[in-house]
Amino acid sequence: MRIFHKTSFNFIRHRKIAYVISMVLLLSGILSLVFRGLNYGIDFRGGSEVVIRFDKNVEVGSVRAVLKEAGVSGTLKQYGIDRSFLLSTVFSGQTNELKALVSNAFNARFPDNRHEIVRIDSVGPSIASDLKWSALKALLGALAAILLYVGIRFELKFAAAGVVAIFHDVLTVLGLFSILGGLFTFMPLEMDQSIIAAFLTVAGYSITDTVVVYDRIRERIRGRKPSEYEAIFNESMNQTLSRTIITSGTTLITVLILFIFAGPAIRGFAFAVFIGILIGTYSSIFVASPIVYDWLKATKSSVRLRGGSAS
Amino acid sequence: MKNKPFNLFLIVLVTIVSLWSLWPTWRDYSLSNQMDSFATGEDSLKFTLAHRDEIENARKKSLKLGLDLKGGMHLVMEVDQIDLFEQKAWNKDARFRAIMEKVRKQAANSNAQVIDLLSAEFEKENIRLSRYFYDIRNSDREIIDKLQKESEDALARAREIIRNRIDQYGVAEPVITTQGSRRIIIELAGISDENRVRNLLKGTAKLEFKLLREPEVLLRVLDKLNSSLAAQRIVPAAPADTADVRIPAGVPPPAPAAASKSAGPLYDVLTIMQNGNVYVPAESREFVVKLFQRSDIKALIPQDSELLLAAKPDQLQDGRNYYPIFLLRKTAELTGGVITEAKASFSAEGAQPEVLMEMNSEGTAKWARITGANIGKRVAIVLDGAVYSAPVVQSKIPNGNSVINGIESVEEAKDLEIVLKAGALPAPVRIIEERTVGPSLGADYIRAGMLSLLWGFLSVSVFMLFYYRTAGIAADMALILNILVVLSVLAGFNASLSLPGIAGIVLTMGMAVDANVLIYERIREELADGKSIVSAVAAGYDKAFSSILDSHVTTLASAYLLYTFGIGPIQGFAVTLLIGTAASLFTAIVVTREIFNFMLSKNMLSEKSFG
Repeated sequence: MRIFHKTSFNFIRHRKIAYVISMVLLLSGILSLVFRGLNYGIDFRGGSEVVIRFDKNVEVGSVRAVLKEAGVSGTLKQYGIDRSFLLSTVFSGQTNELKALVSNAFNARFPDNRHEIVRIDSVGPSIASDLKWSALKALLGALAAILLYVGIRFELKFAAAGVVAIFHDVLTVLGLFSILGGLFTFMPLEMDQSIIAAFLTVAGYSITDTVVVYDRIRERIRGRKPSEYEAIFNESMNQTLSRTIITSGTTLITVLILFIFAGPAIRGFAFAVFIGILIGTYSSIFVASPIVYDWLKATKSSVRLRGGSAS
Repeated sequence: MKNKPFNLFLIVLVTIVSLWSLWPTWRDYSLSNQMDSFATGEDSLKFTLAHRDEIENARKKSLKLGLDLKGGMHLVMEVDQIDLFEQKAWNKDARFRAIMEKVRKQAANSNAQVIDLLSAEFEKENIRLSRYFYDIRNSDREIIDKLQKESEDALARAREIIRNRIDQYGVAEPVITTQGSRRIIIELAGISDENRVRNLLKGTAKLEFKLLREPEVLLRVLDKLNSSLAAQRIVPAAPADTADVRIPAGVPPPAPAAASKSAGPLYDVLTIMQNGNVYVPAESREFVVKLFQRSDIKALIPQDSELLLAAKPDQLQDGRNYYPIFLLRKTAELTGGVITEAKASFSAEGAQPEVLMEMNSEGTAKWARITGANIGKRVAIVLDGAVYSAPVVQSKIPNGNSVINGIESVEEAKDLEIVLKAGALPAPVRIIEERTVGPSLGADYIRAGMLSLLWGFLSVSVFMLFYYRTAGIAADMALILNILVVLSVLAGFNASLSLPGIAGIVLTMGMAVDANVLIYERIREELADGKSIVSAVAAGYDKAFSSILDSHVTTLASAYLLYTFGIGPIQGFAVTLLIGTAASLFTAIVVTREIFNFMLSKNMLSEKSFG
């Protein structure tokens, strides 16, 4: 079976349209980040989360009322698994007291509906600030490592364009998190550690996709004149298009499966990776290589690429 | 890649090592299945005894499940370095306390080193550290180094003490490590009573024997506090505001007495007995504790004394719970350092749990002197700032024995025994991060993880078969080996598999076939150019190699950074992604190549085999 067999799309000629689309995506994301901000999970803001599961169905309103009566401050939401609720409160370090308070209240008010506290996550403010820093370090470190590696294997223009594409992808996902944050009960779309993991996965995936196209360009560009670059870029992208789509496809399938089956703890992560891979696939074709092309055209330089295929 | 016998050998070796490393996991699984299958517990027990070594061995070497799948606690505790430094300081005055208070606030919200915050604050105030720490001749640098050393020692000691406590409590395979300069990470699987574990871990276990001041002095101090508060017009309605969270439903909050009848803010909440004992009702305890911590209140108490509450309430005639209040000499007569042995037991009257303690020779001598000199007076036994009992000394105690009573339950007595034996922590520790997963949610996670793995594998492998036909078989075999390698590396290195780890494997399955896709697409191109199947396969592998290498290195780099900077759950994800991606370099290139070589030699491969 073949999808995209022997295509000849003129990606380079239509790159301006792609630039506009990307700009719109990025700008709306940035605007939302500025005005709406992000929902931070307890990993980054500190706090406690308790997941309570009941034996029988119970209205979220009545659970909320019982907690309020017991003097528990915080917000209560439906959690992604059956008959379960997520209580978020401030961090106190006194989990025992919180647990006793919640348990006693439910035991008194729902005597014939047993409940179980199935998960407690509690993060103090100093840990939260730690986590924030290491997340930032990991992201910047990954970008620097990629810039370095691609810079050595190809050349700086290619590396820089690849990193721009990563920024583009991560920022778009971040913007989407800001726009959609809090809209769905089955996935809160909060920024936490797992989303950072998603960003790094997306970064790795995006540059992988980009590098495959670069590699084909490198293979074909040797000894050619700058006037032929447009054709070479287009042909390279068309030749790798099939691979790009297939790999994105298999990866998207697995991420979708995670989203469906792996439960609420993984859902936000799966969503971020799913969108990230979609955007990453798009950006490797419509952002990274066109930028390199424009850059080469603007500086009127020819490419001196290092490395090469094993043959 | 030209060296065929070597490649074949490598593939066989990897497969065998993987299977060998996963064998105990399989044995563990089938043995426990067998154990569950018996109809009676007796048969099951017999089977267990007969296969004991085998079961234990398999369990020890099998793939471990993470805390989230098994159910368990992940705790991060922080040693209170500010408290530690305060202990080391000389002539602490109001200025010193103010600075320390400031540092404490800063430290709570940042991850900077406490010692750096401390020295910065002293510098800002233009005070040399030597005014309070160590020798006046020391330079700031020397003092900082010394304090640094002190806090490192304290962290190491705290870890040992916490390890002792956990070992005594009895948890299978606890993992206790330190992180940075003030944190201890504790991972405990399969805990049945988390509340007890939390209590066991967080207590400093600072045991002190302190003399009680005379009842008249206590009353005089309370009088002074009361009138001072009355002057400030502090209304005892405050407990209803600050402490309402703690008051169990059904108990009416202490009614704020009408202004006309009020005996004063403090006396409104206190009950004073004929014999001079002072009590505070349970619901007002929080209010009184907060009050006693206020610095303006502390200033009214004699310099050498302190007000403390009992650890447990007494039930008085009206059936309500009251906490006794004590005025003690601040300087402890004797501290827990002299305790050599502690034993949970029951009192002579039978019902009351208590803890018997023995002292070393130095402690015994001191204890004999103290008791001898204070016959008829009361000595309080104080643990972590709460008075457990305050018996009247009847006679000189020559043998170094002492008893803690006023304990509610046998478990508590047992826990006290544990913490007293393990010794006191050098400084208080606090839980600053906790992630607890109950066993039922863990079972849910396992089911979710298994479903994801199954569906992930099925969909990717079926897709490859569908899209690439015969060549898809090779890719699928490589995929299976890839998963085997990931699991076996985890089992072999005693790492555990968590839900994020499973997510990593599922994601790896989607990405690992990328190498195959690159190769196959290339082979298709070569075939389309009219090459023979043999040369198309060779060219496909050769030309795709550089793309595969570049793309894998970048993925590995980001996974590695995730592993180094991520903590806990995220590391599990990074590890499986890392192993899976690295393994796919081998499985997708070498393994499929050998499969094709074999098929070519048997003439089983044609132009149609690549779909």
